[in-house]
Amino acid sequence: MLRARMCVSALCHRSGTFVLRWVNICRKIACVQSAVGPVRWKTYCSPAPFLTATPTRALIDEPITLEGHHLPPHSPITVRAYMHNEDGDLWEALSHYNTDEMGVVNMTTDESVGGSYVGCEPMGLFWALQPAPGEREGLRLRKKNVETPYSVQLSLLEGHIPVPPSEGSNKEQWQRGEQELAAVTVERWYMAPGVRRIEIRQNGVVGTLFLPPGPGPFPAMVDLWGMGGGLIEYRSALFASRGFASLSLAYFGHKDIPGPLNTINVGDAYFKAAFQFLQDHPQVCGDRLGIIGLSFGVYLALRIATQIGVNPRCVIGVNGPIGSFNKLSDSDGQTESFEGDQKHWSYDEQGYVSFREVSMPNNIPPENKAKVENLCCPLLYIVGEDDLSCAAIENADEIEKKLKDAGRSHLFTRLSYLGAGHLIEPPYTPNARSSMWTTRPKKLITLWGGHLAPHAAAQEDAWKRTLEFMERHLRG
Amino acid sequence: MSEKAASPLLLLHPTRGLIDEKFSVMVQNLPQIQDITLHALIHSDDGDYWEAFGHYVSDATGLVNVANDSSLGGTYDGVEPMGLLWSMRPVPGSRIGLRLRKKEVHTPMVVHISVYRGHMSQGFREQAALASVVTERWYMAPGVRRVDITEGGVTGTLFLPPGPGPFPALLDLWGGGGGLVEYRSALLASHGFVSLALEYMTPRTSGGSTSHVGNKYFEAAFTILKQHPQVCGDRIAILGLSFGTSVALGMAVYSTVIQPRCLVCVSGSHVQQVKGSLSDVFSEINKNVRNTRYDEENRVIWRDLLLPIPTDPTKKVDVGQMKCPVLMIVGEDDQNWPATESAEDMKQMMERAGNSHLLTTLSYPGAGHLIEPPYSPHIRASNFMVAGTRQKLVVLWGGETAPHSHAQEDSWKKTLAFLEEHLYRSTEVTSPSNL
Repeated sequence: MLRARMCVSALCHRSGTFVLRWVNICRKIACVQSAVGPVRWKTYCSPAPFLTATPTRALIDEPITLEGHHLPPHSPITVRAYMHNEDGDLWEALSHYNTDEMGVVNMTTDESVGGSYVGCEPMGLFWALQPAPGEREGLRLRKKNVETPYSVQLSLLEGHIPVPPSEGSNKEQWQRGEQELAAVTVERWYMAPGVRRIEIRQNGVVGTLFLPPGPGPFPAMVDLWGMGGGLIEYRSALFASRGFASLSLAYFGHKDIPGPLNTINVGDAYFKAAFQFLQDHPQVCGDRLGIIGLSFGVYLALRIATQIGVNPRCVIGVNGPIGSFNKLSDSDGQTESFEGDQKHWSYDEQGYVSFREVSMPNNIPPENKAKVENLCCPLLYIVGEDDLSCAAIENADEIEKKLKDAGRSHLFTRLSYLGAGHLIEPPYTPNARSSMWTTRPKKLITLWGGHLAPHAAAQEDAWKRTLEFMERHLRG
Repeated sequence: MSEKAASPLLLLHPTRGLIDEKFSVMVQNLPQIQDITLHALIHSDDGDYWEAFGHYVSDATGLVNVANDSSLGGTYDGVEPMGLLWSMRPVPGSRIGLRLRKKEVHTPMVVHISVYRGHMSQGFREQAALASVVTERWYMAPGVRRVDITEGGVTGTLFLPPGPGPFPALLDLWGGGGGLVEYRSALLASHGFVSLALEYMTPRTSGGSTSHVGNKYFEAAFTILKQHPQVCGDRIAILGLSFGTSVALGMAVYSTVIQPRCLVCVSGSHVQQVKGSLSDVFSEINKNVRNTRYDEENRVIWRDLLLPIPTDPTKKVDVGQMKCPVLMIVGEDDQNWPATESAEDMKQMMERAGNSHLLTTLSYPGAGHLIEPPYSPHIRASNFMVAGTRQKLVVLWGGETAPHSHAQEDSWKKTLAFLEEHLYRSTEVTSPSNL
């Protein structure tokens, strides 16, 4: 026994990382102990380091404080975040820190010295998540079922573990789990408790309504996305979690909207019906409605606000055009397919397509542009300067000019973000610089633009400013 | 188009938290100097409704902030940030003798917080609220694992924090109510401790009769923890409430198998047959059953059954031989066990033996017997089924709601700090080496 103890001590002195080796040895001794029965020898066991997250259950837009304790002082450690999305793909991020003299690391105040991001980034582990090596290409992290959370595992690992190369590496080579010192799990929610999700299929309107808890009445938003189509709920869910009713509205590529999936089959009457539905809802303040649009949704928001006889209190536009390349039918006839005319599509050296030129104001027929000069309410226009999908800067300039010419400059506020791309979404979620656009007739990946760190900073700031803008104009 | 003003804004943060976390509650956009009532409502797993309410007046900016403002009446008064939870009681018309205890720890307690116009004390169901929010209160943090334990004749539930460990551990013992009570262990695992909630006061675990729970049972439970690959075998504590304290004290002093790093003893006593077992404690209690008293509502007071504290040393655990730190938590209004008198006697015994530096006693005026994790509603009495005879009574636990609730908050904070100190930070090994 004594010899065994001395042997172990010698091992520990040689290694230099005393506590951590000791932990591993203790674990092994404990295993032997259970295997051979109640051996009466002492295990001087040091408990594992501690990784805490505050809070462990948060909304998507809430920062989480991560701290490591009981670590060796002045030592390199890696914090790893990993999660599976709803399709089962693995996403991960790593960051390298050095513990302080007390063996503590605090990711809200300390600087990452390497990994998926560098510098002081309290939420870096979440916005820097990327598909793990070997996962499918062209992925974008988007929550379909907003009634369940993302469950993210966070681990403390010994040393500075390199970020896996994005291509060509063998997953089995990754020795994950063996050097894990501590772990914690966090849940990230789009819906606060009590928020109600209601599917809307009435008066021809196809959408999902999110209501905050309580009797209301609440100010409300119409929430419009782009030509990806379908029905995207997560931003509306988050608005409702922040006290605003919100209607996510489908208008293209949804099975419950009659007509072909690759054309826009609705017109002004549809959007008016949607706006009216919200206005008339017993739990909505009918005169406190706003509209938010991203991408093509910006054109729709501007058109709704100026041409169909409704009076929103404010409009928010993110990286979208003043007009439509394809004419939006007034009489609910069909538009041409977006993919019909590809003359303005451009391709990079990898064959990824950029739609940026499609929305250049000069490429949009004047009769297809929203009558922005008739806008009566404040407009917050958010620009990602590295937007490769929409000519956001040029459209912002055109909208600003038209408002100025109409004596309505005071209505226009622009937020412009260097290094941010097209998909400026709720914060602390990873940017996709490109993603799969379609697989038929063949695989096509589209460019959105944006670099990870500046895009993340843009999302954080833009979301804060968006909520402030809504508070001021819808609740003030 | 009618102009509907935006309603008052009720802000609660966090909307999802652990059961022992504080929340902030604010109401904005009210008319100034407006009487309002804040109301909390729980629909328990058993189907009962519990509620609490406080009366407030908005300030000149139309704001009420529960952290700073005084409740002028209701189920609590004064500045009480968490009063909406701990002052809850069954709604009028409920069954009598209820106690709010979460059995299913995988799901949260869901609390509805609402604001009403005026100062109301009843009729909340019939009145429309101005605003309301929902908060979830969880016993289990995400990633905490729950494992059924049925090995070696031991029945319990093991809760493990996320991660590889190894972790310090707790043997979690409740009292005479019996059954398998998991929520405190779930919460302890959420704070970084492996915790084994042990079932021991039911016929299943004691060969058909509660009085036959032997010491070997507890030693087997302790050994399960000690041998668990994710537990630091020399960093195990025992947390006992009521009868659980009897077990903790007796085994810590007399068992050669059970060598805890520290003890937390809540609302219990060291009075028991020396080197006896739990059945001996029962015998002693039954001898004095004539000392049972009843209050004005015919509720059972059992505190005298172990009084007076014996002077005969064979009738109480020799705490002078205690080798590990002990945290004693007692409510001075405990009507169920003579916890205050026992704690005082223990202190004297340990002073005579020279080991009183190991004893820390937290004594709370106005607190009763059931000192549990904070913010759960205080009840002065509840239905109780005597293990063994299955006789149904209403037992008086004691305590006044406000001081009892403050005691729960303070003692839990100190319990976690005590466990952190002795199980995580301490490097001193108190048990002798067997090498």
